[in-house]
Amino acid sequence: MPRETSPKIISNGRRYMGNMAVASVLYTGAVFGGAFAIRNDDLPQWGAILAALAPLVPALLMLRAYMIFINGVDEFQRRIQSEAMLYSAAIVGFGSFAYGFLEEWADFPHLPLIWVFPALMGVWGAAACVMRLRYK
Amino acid sequence: MRNRLKVLRAERNWSQADLAEKLDVSRQSVNAIETGKYDPSLPLAFKIATLFGLPIEQIFSAHDVVVQAAE
Repeated sequence: MPRETSPKIISNGRRYMGNMAVASVLYTGAVFGGAFAIRNDDLPQWGAILAALAPLVPALLMLRAYMIFINGVDEFQRRIQSEAMLYSAAIVGFGSFAYGFLEEWADFPHLPLIWVFPALMGVWGAAACVMRLRYK
Repeated sequence: MRNRLKVLRAERNWSQADLAEKLDVSRQSVNAIETGKYDPSLPLAFKIATLFGLPIEQIFSAHDVVVQAAE
């Protein structure tokens, strides 16, 4: 199998996958744990707030994993990721802004804000794939 | 910007992956530089020049400058 890149970059990618896998397992646990805890009617308000914010901790670990990954890639890959993030911010930002007006003035169904971040990540990933194809 | 990276690499019988490993970048980055889709930063350009043992201007040249010289 031909080498596609330097061992340093391969090892950076593997470390990213490992860090992301750990953060994903913790995120799943936090979401299910939070959802289970919130079912308890006796849960005080501060407990509900803690349960609701618990998934943010592993989400921050995901962000940390990504920052470590970005610091380990070369300048060209960093440019692809930066441009993809810019496209994602523009598309999701303007998309949600437009939908906000549609909700308010054209009776479109309400969408929870929780979907903005996953949309940002999803479009970012898709944009990065398109950018890679463009530079292939 | 134009460059002679592909020629210089071929003279040494290096694959894109070989060059990528020597420069500590991805093969895709080498390909993007060779095809002119991406202009490397000054530090990377100097790294390339050092690797090939050539002055930077013998590897990279601005297209406009080449046109002016021809005129």
